[in-house]
Amino acid sequence: MTIIPPYLKPGDKIGLVCPAGYMPVEKYQTCIETLYDWGFQVVVGKTPGHQFNYFSGTDKERLDDLQQMMDDPKIKAVLCARGGYGSGRIIDQLDFKKFIKHPKWIIGFSDITVLHSHLFSNYKIASLHAPMAAAFNDDEFKNQYVESLRDALTGKKANYKTETNELNQTGKAKGILVGGNLSLLANITGTPSDINTKNKILFIEDVGEYIYNVDRMMYQLKRSGRLDHLKALIVGSFSEMKDTAIPFGQTAEEAIKALVKEYGYPVCFGFPVGHKKENYTLKVGVKYQLNVSDTFVELKEL
Amino acid sequence: MNRKNFLSSIIPLAVSPIAFHNKTVSEFIKQIPSYLKKGDVIGITCPSGHITLEECQPAINKMKEWGFEIRVGNTVGLKDFTFAGADEERLKDLQQMLDDDSVKAVMMGRGGYGAVRIIDRIDFTRFEQKPKWIIGFSDATVLHVHINHNYGIATIHSKMCNSFPEDFAKAEPSQINSIDSIRQCLVGERMKYECTANELNRLGEGIGDLVGGNLSIIENLAGSVSNLSTEGKILFIEDVGEYLYRIDSMLWNLKRSKKLSKLKGLVVGQFRIKPDDPGEEFGKDLYEIVMEKVKEFHYPVCFNFPVGHVKENYALKYGVKHRLVVGEAGAILFDH
Repeated sequence: MTIIPPYLKPGDKIGLVCPAGYMPVEKYQTCIETLYDWGFQVVVGKTPGHQFNYFSGTDKERLDDLQQMMDDPKIKAVLCARGGYGSGRIIDQLDFKKFIKHPKWIIGFSDITVLHSHLFSNYKIASLHAPMAAAFNDDEFKNQYVESLRDALTGKKANYKTETNELNQTGKAKGILVGGNLSLLANITGTPSDINTKNKILFIEDVGEYIYNVDRMMYQLKRSGRLDHLKALIVGSFSEMKDTAIPFGQTAEEAIKALVKEYGYPVCFGFPVGHKKENYTLKVGVKYQLNVSDTFVELKEL
Repeated sequence: MNRKNFLSSIIPLAVSPIAFHNKTVSEFIKQIPSYLKKGDVIGITCPSGHITLEECQPAINKMKEWGFEIRVGNTVGLKDFTFAGADEERLKDLQQMLDDDSVKAVMMGRGGYGAVRIIDRIDFTRFEQKPKWIIGFSDATVLHVHINHNYGIATIHSKMCNSFPEDFAKAEPSQINSIDSIRQCLVGERMKYECTANELNRLGEGIGDLVGGNLSIIENLAGSVSNLSTEGKILFIEDVGEYLYRIDSMLWNLKRSKKLSKLKGLVVGQFRIKPDDPGEEFGKDLYEIVMEKVKEFHYPVCFNFPVGHVKENYALKYGVKHRLVVGEAGAILFDH
């Protein structure tokens, strides 16, 4: 059984950290204000606003900040302000002893996929694949995607409805949801953070990749048996895709479709999860029901 | 379900994929394909990216000059977007080259992308009985790793048709020597590579089978039936067009999956790195990125070895036992 961290109550403290890339102070102010508006308190760690080259601090600084937030009993959830790159550099040095005894919600996506997968694969602890600080900016803090984080944190069950897509494979499925950023899922293959997809609903998204590389990573998932025994596949946004001088000849979505059409399970494309504004909060490790019909797609938390 | 039925339904499962995964290299009798003699046929095929016949011509001419016959595969000149033909066409051409006993070696036209799309449908039965040299690098790393891991047959990691200079008279000596090293490997000469001293090298000696190739491909094969096994081996790596952070993340994949733990040596080839975007400086160079992953181990590490997407890219006998000596005066790698 999945361990569900306690949902948040008004006045609870959310820790803000940057385990990967650097984030300037002004970029996470609206996020902090919004979290206060939602009735929470915010404890800003040492890494947000801090910079060491590309990163939000040295490995040691990022590790210590995340470790402290995870271990501090007064902090009820940890929001990663941004992704980028760097969680994989510190994950093996994190000590999960206290965290296992007192789990809390880890929030983020993209590079944070490493944490989501690691937590669920090793400790069966659920986490939140959700918008991060930048998603709150430019007046977007009121949109339904950012709001979905508030609902998830306070224990309101999700029921996302979205449009149909001509590439979809219809059907209904129930299963535990796992997944995240495709590049990261490929990168953790064979490591202690590796994802187990058997009997799961898998969701994937990516940004800024070459289409051929999306194809190659999908082949990796397929060849390592990760697509064989899914309950369903949710394809999120594959945004800002790049192509080679000689074109690949398919979109990322078409390439994915070509690889999964042999399976009988439901597949939906264009689900609002990924590096775009349309990025619903998903609970990694929690059971959902997916209904891909001819007229709509519904993902319902059970 | 009665026991008999239960057994008969489970046995085929247990025999094929599971035994396949558990096979270790020590169980193989390692095979070196026959070296080539004058008049032997070298096939050219394109399992990945598109290349024209015209672009292959310098390679064809040079290999004829070496005394070999050339069989041009059907995929040379074929084009399906980025690929040298549809999956079926590339598969069929490579399969034919593998199965034709009159072809003694198969050189890839070029790399690019596409080998992984067909590798699982290649039938290696005939090839395993009558091994021949498979020649190429970059995307062809898929073939090297897959063949090494599953069949223990030696291959040649080297330049391909697209890397032969149009005019050898105008080519740099290192490029000419790199091309000639393919011939040396093919005819069975003992190979010896010397690399200038580098203060960042970690000194030492190691003996082991030489494996590795393109780092992106090695990462991509993780978890699959073509997974690279590195235990007790000398690993070489190279890459092109990747950001430093990506090289870092790929090396973390190797480290976290224990592929760096039990090496006999590490050979760092040429990395043509994509420059960091402004304001996103990674802050560590290739040496630091590599050394922070292997500092806890004690095997020799040689930097700046002439293998990769550069003119000086020597042919290496892949899967063959080599000795790596990294000393104060320089590094030497030779087949053992």
